[in-house]
Amino acid sequence: MKKLSVITSIILMVGIIGYVSSCAPSAKITAKTGAQIWGENCIRCHNPASPSTFSDVQWDVATLHMQIRANLTPEEATKVKEFLQAANN
Amino acid sequence: MKNLWIIMPVLLMSLGTYAQDSLSTYSRQAAQNNISLKPGDSRFMLRGYYHTGLDAVTSEGETDYNFAGGTIAPILMYKQSDRLFFEAEFEGAFEDGEFEWGLEYADVAYVLNNYMTVRAGKFLLPFGTFMEKLHPAWINRLSTRPLGFGHDGIAPTTDVGVELRGAFHLGDVKLNYQAYVINGPQLKDGSEEPDEAGMLMFGYMADNNNDKAVGGRLGFFPFSSSALEIGLSALSGKVGDKGSRFADVRANLYAIDFSLVKNLSFMKSMVDIKGQYNYSQIGNANYKVPEDTTDLFYDFTNTSNSYYAQVSIRPSFVSNEFISNLELVGRYSSMDTPEGSLWEQSPTQLAIGLNYWIDWRTVIKLGYQTTDGLGDHDSPEPITQDMFYIHWAMGF
Ligand code: HEC
Repeated sequence: MKKLSVITSIILMVGIIGYVSSCAPSAKITAKTGAQIWGENCIRCHNPASPSTFSDVQWDVATLHMQIRANLTPEEATKVKEFLQAANN
Repeated sequence: MKNLWIIMPVLLMSLGTYAQDSLSTYSRQAAQNNISLKPGDSRFMLRGYYHTGLDAVTSEGETDYNFAGGTIAPILMYKQSDRLFFEAEFEGAFEDGEFEWGLEYADVAYVLNNYMTVRAGKFLLPFGTFMEKLHPAWINRLSTRPLGFGHDGIAPTTDVGVELRGAFHLGDVKLNYQAYVINGPQLKDGSEEPDEAGMLMFGYMADNNNDKAVGGRLGFFPFSSSALEIGLSALSGKVGDKGSRFADVRANLYAIDFSLVKNLSFMKSMVDIKGQYNYSQIGNANYKVPEDTTDLFYDFTNTSNSYYAQVSIRPSFVSNEFISNLELVGRYSSMDTPEGSLWEQSPTQLAIGLNYWIDWRTVIKLGYQTTDGLGDHDSPEPITQDMFYIHWAMGF
């Protein structure tokens, strides 16, 4: 009986780990650069914001705003922010 | 060995002083300034948008020309940390000759983890995408809203409550979700505006019953490029006043939204296709026949729907700068409100526009729109309304 519950918990744990890791973004997604995400994502609702529009500090605020409003993952938003901050001068 | 530990810091310190000494007074001053300009953690930003222009509206053979420009929307944002964010939009507009301020939204967001952000306050409802993500004048490619949104619309706008939202990837696919609890829309029972009995009111602060409305949206990006998104939304709650005979009337609202933004390289253009379908079902209720003293009541099946589909195309990648800033847009929309209600109508609308983008958030919009079948019980014969406009819209 005890054995059975150990086995089921192992199967369950393997299942959960398998599920969670399958939830992870694919290598294709994680390899995307900030510039690429900006080009693909920041055009979906409005024209892509030109990097020179804002200072680094302003981009810091605006990209968090967009992370929330446009449902970006924190990773996507951070990459876009770093791209915009690097490209604005 | 021990000696080395002592010598090293001394050596480093002397190097440091050497470097400092070699700085000119000028660059030392610059470094000083830089330090004083170092941004703090809490960051504030003021933004907003505005539009102005000329409208020519023709109905029943008469044309009215009007300069428009009496609304302004300042937005303030405050980032206190990487997790805590506040946003608020005010809407100032002339109403019957008086300038009035309204609160469009004001909410606090806290990023709990990579998958969850909680928001509280008055927020734009994620019911479809138009109101939450596309309505600002510098984003909406036409100067008007599709049928079903805005004044006398059937789609919810804003409300007060709490919301959980987030996004995550499953392999190549991306999902995003929003789930909320709000005070909820309210039913017009006809006691104040008999012609509007059975309609819903959105965006009110106070709750008229203790039943909180719940709703949400699920968005789905099937491709890794995020080019295509399909969303499903729902909202449900009791809408009648507590203690009244409408207390148990419930509204169930649904929406489907669609967005495809793609680079058509053979045309050197970006194409953007958007659409939303809204369906509203409100429980049956008896409403008092207006101006009747014998207590006569009437009822009707209270379901409405509306939809729009919009296509815009911009030759962004042609080398001629003037042409690359042009954009052509067309939109069709339609709405049906309940048969037998005093606000019954089934208009359809076609809108076309030619835009010139001065920069990514400043645009001149030239448009024409024709709406058929407008009317209510005051004008039993549905009318056609045509509109020409030229507008200047900018985000700032
Ligand atoms: C889902 C739609 C959507 C997407 C995708 C989107 N935005 Fe926005 N963006 C908006 C809306 C809506 C506003 C206006 C907010 C308002 O007025 O309340 C906005 C406003 C902005 C502004 C003006 C400043 C501000 O924060 O309001 C900037 C800058 C901006 N977006 C940049 C971006 C960038 C960069 C991306 C890509 C990471 C992006 N947007 C993706 C919808 C979107």
